[in-house]
Amino acid sequence: MTEMSVTINGKAYGPFEIRDTLSMNDFLREHLGLTGTKFGCGLAQCLSCAVIIDNPDGTSHTSPTCVVPAAGFAGKSIRTIEGHAQNGQLSLLQKAFVEHFAFQCGYCTPGFVNEGQVLLERLAKTPVARAELDTTIREALDGHLCRCTGYVKYHEAMRDVILADPNRYLS
Amino acid sequence: MASVKRIALSVVLLVALGLPPPTEVYSAESSTTLAAPQSFDGISDRAERSAALFAEAGKVLTSARCVNCHPAGDRPLQGETRRLHQPPVARGSDGFGTPAMRCATCHQSANFDPAGVPGHPHWHLAPSEMAWQNKTPGEICTQIKDPARNGGRSLQQILTHVADDSLVGWAWTPGGGREPAPGTQKELGALIQAWLNTGAVCPK
Repeated sequence: MTEMSVTINGKAYGPFEIRDTLSMNDFLREHLGLTGTKFGCGLAQCLSCAVIIDNPDGTSHTSPTCVVPAAGFAGKSIRTIEGHAQNGQLSLLQKAFVEHFAFQCGYCTPGFVNEGQVLLERLAKTPVARAELDTTIREALDGHLCRCTGYVKYHEAMRDVILADPNRYLS
Repeated sequence: MASVKRIALSVVLLVALGLPPPTEVYSAESSTTLAAPQSFDGISDRAERSAALFAEAGKVLTSARCVNCHPAGDRPLQGETRRLHQPPVARGSDGFGTPAMRCATCHQSANFDPAGVPGHPHWHLAPSEMAWQNKTPGEICTQIKDPARNGGRSLQQILTHVADDSLVGWAWTPGGGREPAPGTQKELGALIQAWLNTGAVCPK
């Protein structure tokens, strides 16, 4: 058993006494009722289970939750899909995904939203050239599997959000 | 155990007949154990003895636990079949993964058996120049002795790495039903020390 506390979407949770074999995905879904994070493949292949980890140095990255123990998130600050909308308002990226009809069943969408948000925040700090944008988006979203769509509209939605604010995201 | 006794008897008979025991005898039939350095003392030629010692150590260096993270390409390998790692991760610029998928994202500081994911605080790939995949023990030996391909290490530093590094040590506690490397890290260290003591000759 391990004692664990974690910050999720700005809210402190814990301390909890959890078993060492508990995955973060089960912890989120079963213990906290945060079912927006999905369980897809259970092999860190599809990344529908990915959440954002906010690092102390100000950077962020996504992490699968299906193969990672909950104890591994102890003391960390993370964001799940539930944390993107504020005061009932979807984020810019979420709105773009809706407007572009980027998803169908929605199972992979939390992972895409988290990954896309991390990309936006990275570009805001380290913009890329317009010529590199498509490759940058493709590399960022690479690894996220979607069984319903052909990924194009996710990509287009991301591109449109970035191109709508070029001074912020592009060099 | 019976096979080891047969080997020992064969050695005794051959020595009694004045014939040098074949070096192959000292690579024990078991792939899970390592012969002790003393068992090579019967090889009178120092260079041959040295090469035989490294060949025995090569059982570890060519095992899946080592080769999977010393791949020839930019993707780690997985499992006893040494298949390409799934998910399809890559070494990145520093061997610790690409920016969006660092090794430590999934590989935590310890094995997580419920998901079958091995772990260690310094989980990462060996540099490309230290690729061991599809290489013979002799080729690995030559590589290990080459400062341009061993991270600029002296042979003594190689010994320290092999005998004391905890990531190397993971090979013997891999968890998840994975086959440990042969022998123990201490036994491997003893073999490498003996190899150094006999001139660090590489097997052919």
